[in-house]
Amino acid sequence: MKEKTIYEHLREKGLSRRDFMKLCGTIAGFLGLEFSPPVKALGKLVQPDPARTVARALQTKTRLPIIWLEFQDCAGCSEAISRSSSPTLSSLVLNDLAIEYHETLMAASGFQAESAKEECLNKYRGQYVLVVEGSPSLAEDGIYCTVGGKSNLEILKEAAAGAAAIIATGNCASFGGIPAARPNPTGACGVADLIKDKPVINIPGCPAIPEVTTGAILHFLILGQLPQTDSLKRPLVFYGHTVHDHCLRRPFYEAGKFAASFDDEGARQGYCLYRLGCKGPTTYNACPSLKWERGLSYPVQSGHPCLGCSEPHFWDGGGFYQGQSAALIPPTAQTSALAAGAGLAAGAALAGINSARKKRAKKALASTAPTTPAESTTSAPPDKKEG
Amino acid sequence: MDWTEILRFSRGPLFHFSLVIFIAGMTYRLVRIIFLGWEKDRVKSQGSKLSGVIISYLKGLIILPFIPWVRRTFKNNALTFIAGGLFHLSLFLVLIFGEAHILVWQSLFGVSWAPMPNPIVDWVAAAGIVSLIILLINRLTHPVLRLLTRLPAWINWTMVFLPFVTGYIMYHHLWFPYEVIFSLHLIFVCLLLIWIPFSRMSHFLFYFFSRTIHGARAGKRAVTP
Repeated sequence: MKEKTIYEHLREKGLSRRDFMKLCGTIAGFLGLEFSPPVKALGKLVQPDPARTVARALQTKTRLPIIWLEFQDCAGCSEAISRSSSPTLSSLVLNDLAIEYHETLMAASGFQAESAKEECLNKYRGQYVLVVEGSPSLAEDGIYCTVGGKSNLEILKEAAAGAAAIIATGNCASFGGIPAARPNPTGACGVADLIKDKPVINIPGCPAIPEVTTGAILHFLILGQLPQTDSLKRPLVFYGHTVHDHCLRRPFYEAGKFAASFDDEGARQGYCLYRLGCKGPTTYNACPSLKWERGLSYPVQSGHPCLGCSEPHFWDGGGFYQGQSAALIPPTAQTSALAAGAGLAAGAALAGINSARKKRAKKALASTAPTTPAESTTSAPPDKKEG
Repeated sequence: MDWTEILRFSRGPLFHFSLVIFIAGMTYRLVRIIFLGWEKDRVKSQGSKLSGVIISYLKGLIILPFIPWVRRTFKNNALTFIAGGLFHLSLFLVLIFGEAHILVWQSLFGVSWAPMPNPIVDWVAAAGIVSLIILLINRLTHPVLRLLTRLPAWINWTMVFLPFVTGYIMYHHLWFPYEVIFSLHLIFVCLLLIWIPFSRMSHFLFYFFSRTIHGARAGKRAVTP
């Protein structure tokens, strides 16, 4: 039997044609397809209306199998996606595309779950999208994270081999995240550090914004390729601007009005949180534009500085409440004393050598040509050069 | 290497290293100067050393620079006086009362104080940058100054100008991605920190020693410093 297209599937569920076109418009706008360079490069944008590109894709393509693996994580990204209130996009991915294997969401467990995965890996070889949540662990051949008796490295390599594309969701899968925080005992790293022969995209965040993860999946479904990325493999459409760029507190930054504590008048007035450690200026993410909970709010709006959770090593980037300009490793009193001691010793040693040379020179001068005491005291030491 | 990594490196190990060199270098210079020898001051005390020091600071640093027309230096060379003075004032205000810089002091010494409003610091910084440029043009065009200026002086100017101008660009989010200009600012600051002890820039500290010593000598002799 011929497999149903996504459109047919949606129609069966009772979606009207009008609602379908609205959905396509939402997706096209959300993904910024009109401005997406790969679309233009592919020549796929035949009509001036990108929504029709989406509609055509959904009408012609069957469901996209997704395999969702979890390694060293808290399942927060899965939580975020399953509880996302964004009705159109997340439910589309969860209900209408096929997540074939997801350790947290699937009902099956144990051998049944593992065999379902095996079956799926073979059936959809070369077609499925592999979503990885949580960081792979390299230390001791990946023994710190095992599922069903297999090390995470083995599982990842096996699943990646047959994947059409890989999406690393969350900071852990993208850059190692919290497991990679100093001293990184498990040798946590990002998926892209391990898998070099497949297209990998990073959706960092703690958790990743659910609409961004689903957006990347939809982009792959519609255009058959992952969206254009920055140097850290993050999709430009969502990570093209910093949190600071679109921050709703930005005017206070420009005016130099800062909250100095969480309960002062400045905080109540909604002033800029830079002084309280906001990492917004160096953090690329879509929080201020997409927001969370159907556009309800995001951390900075709710009064908390940005932690920089979509950047590598955000856990080791100084304290969360320490200003961004602060020194990351301020010299301790001991280090400073040692440095001063070294300077003192070097200075004293050179001064001692100079003084000895001065004495010798004086002696030599006295033995060769006796001079009056007044002259000898004014004679300058030979090579005094400072600065 | 990604700019995020470079920023992390410059905020962390590089800044740490530069501060260590700076402390060691300044101590070294201080010891060398002290060991150059002290002339014994055999003059009988006729006044108070302390009052001499106080008058010296009041005249030289706190009052007269702001009413410069009474000074001969100003009458002879107004441009250097105003631009040089503005630059020093600007550097001081931006470093001590700039919002972001207070956070640096706080991370180093654990104390903080009220910042100056950013728009004011901004204008002050702009004045400092313009002064530096004017001073450079003056140095390039003035025949005597050109004759007197050797390589270290040109390096001095560059070393101060670069952190100043990158800081300004960074605050206004101009032209560069923030992490790039932030890294550049920090790298130039670190270069400056390493350069200071081994150049004339050490006058930021030694100026106070010489002013104190001269003030005390003058006070002891009961003459106006």
